Amino acid sequence: MARKQSTGADRARAGQVALSVPSTFAQYKTLLAKDLQQEFRTKEMLTSMGIYALLVLIVYGAALGQTAQATDVLQLSGGLLWALIVFTSLLGLNRSFNHEKEQGCMEGILLVPMDRSVIFLAKATSNLLFLLVVEVIAVPLFWFFFLTTAQPGPGFMLMAVPLAVGTVGMAGIGTLLSTITVNTRGKDVMLAVLFVPLIFPLLYACASPTTAVVVGAEGYLDVFTQSMALAGGYDVIMLLVSWVLYDFVISA
Amino acid sequence: MTNKPVKLPEAGQWPDKVAPWALLAGIVLSTLGFLMAFLYAGPVNGAAVDGVELIGGQMVANKLLLSQKIFYFHMPVALVSFCALAFACYYSVRFLATKNQRFDTCAKVCMEISLVFVICTMITGDLWERFEWGVWWTWEPRLTTYLILMLIVIAYFVLRNAIDEPERCGVYAAVIAIIAMVDVPICFMITRLIPSSVHPVVLREGGMSGDMGMTVAVCLAGLLLVGFALYRFRFRQVRLQERLQALKDEVEVLEERR
Repeated sequence: MARKQSTGADRARAGQVALSVPSTFAQYKTLLAKDLQQEFRTKEMLTSMGIYALLVLIVYGAALGQTAQATDVLQLSGGLLWALIVFTSLLGLNRSFNHEKEQGCMEGILLVPMDRSVIFLAKATSNLLFLLVVEVIAVPLFWFFFLTTAQPGPGFMLMAVPLAVGTVGMAGIGTLLSTITVNTRGKDVMLAVLFVPLIFPLLYACASPTTAVVVGAEGYLDVFTQSMALAGGYDVIMLLVSWVLYDFVISA
Repeated sequence: MTNKPVKLPEAGQWPDKVAPWALLAGIVLSTLGFLMAFLYAGPVNGAAVDGVELIGGQMVANKLLLSQKIFYFHMPVALVSFCALAFACYYSVRFLATKNQRFDTCAKVCMEISLVFVICTMITGDLWERFEWGVWWTWEPRLTTYLILMLIVIAYFVLRNAIDEPERCGVYAAVIAIIAMVDVPICFMITRLIPSSVHPVVLREGGMSGDMGMTVAVCLAGLLLVGFALYRFRFRQVRLQERLQALKDEVEVLEERR
């Protein structure tokens, strides 16, 4: 560090401007910190997503109030939980690029000479963090409202794994798609039209292990591992494709 | 970067001279395949039924299925739709690499063709399903992934309609076309990955007998030719329209100058 400074000072004396290029990781940290700071100040995303998740749970109350047996609720719970996550993430992803565009932040970021995929990684990470926070609130609430009388399977804590894997994939694909749809007419509908089909394989592969561990029927670990392998594979492919294609999307 | 001149597909090149003949050959071959399916290929035993079940209003134990004949169109049509999607992906990659609007046009036309064949696959598949499995729809992996594929292809066109700037529209559409391609191998492999699914896998179940293979090959060749001809016709139409528009713009500029 000291050596660098001295060379910079030498150059300055010689009438040159010293430029030190920050590392990719430093750029990533700065972009991520910007998103988090904005969220801490406005608390816009987290409150809207959290309240929306709560409202969806209340709507579920009308549907699940009709089921007679607790076991029925257990079998439905995996799918319902994932429906909740999909709708909430749609809401959050729609928002994530809106203020960037409205306040002209995107142009500022694009002026910086850096690898565009860093923008993707930072944005996907911040989306992932917001989604995880909402899930941490929504999943216990789901249990509180509907499952207190039911007896979940022995390994129900394992459902954190499909939740994490599914959320990573959704944040990745969703970041790419919301970058696309923020520039289109009718962006909210457009995001849903693109997002739901593209995450469907992931949704399917995550809802089945979640249900399997919650119900805890015999041989549930086989279903769990097979589905998690599928979900993980889809995650990796989709994240790589989004990462590669993001450069084109953001520059267009 | 090498500055090699990019060879652009254009209306009126040799494929356009071949296209009408390809369409004719395709129609003849598909008709031949249709006749062969009924007259040449032997009837096939349906999927084994446990005991006796009610299928299509009849009590059935194990019968020679006439509904199986739809297979000779269902599989080739599905393969052609995958082909069209692969070409759409190829042209999208070329578009992203060169940023030349011509490739965007090609990709769009490919997508249109694939939508036609995807819908044909869904219709033929649904007929088969109703008579063989006794339901209109079931959430079976192959069906589900194919439905998703159809929705992505439809979303592609919805997205194109929602953007005004042609350059940006092309880039976004190309990205979606490439992502859609991810679903194609998944859809193709899913019956092998999840062996419990109801959808039959031809090669797993001992392959086809000679007469069946022959019929499928004839249908596939015919439908591929039809798909190719449709693509060329549509491409020619879109391309000529674009050229006409360009000429109109030029005339307008000239008139303003006068």
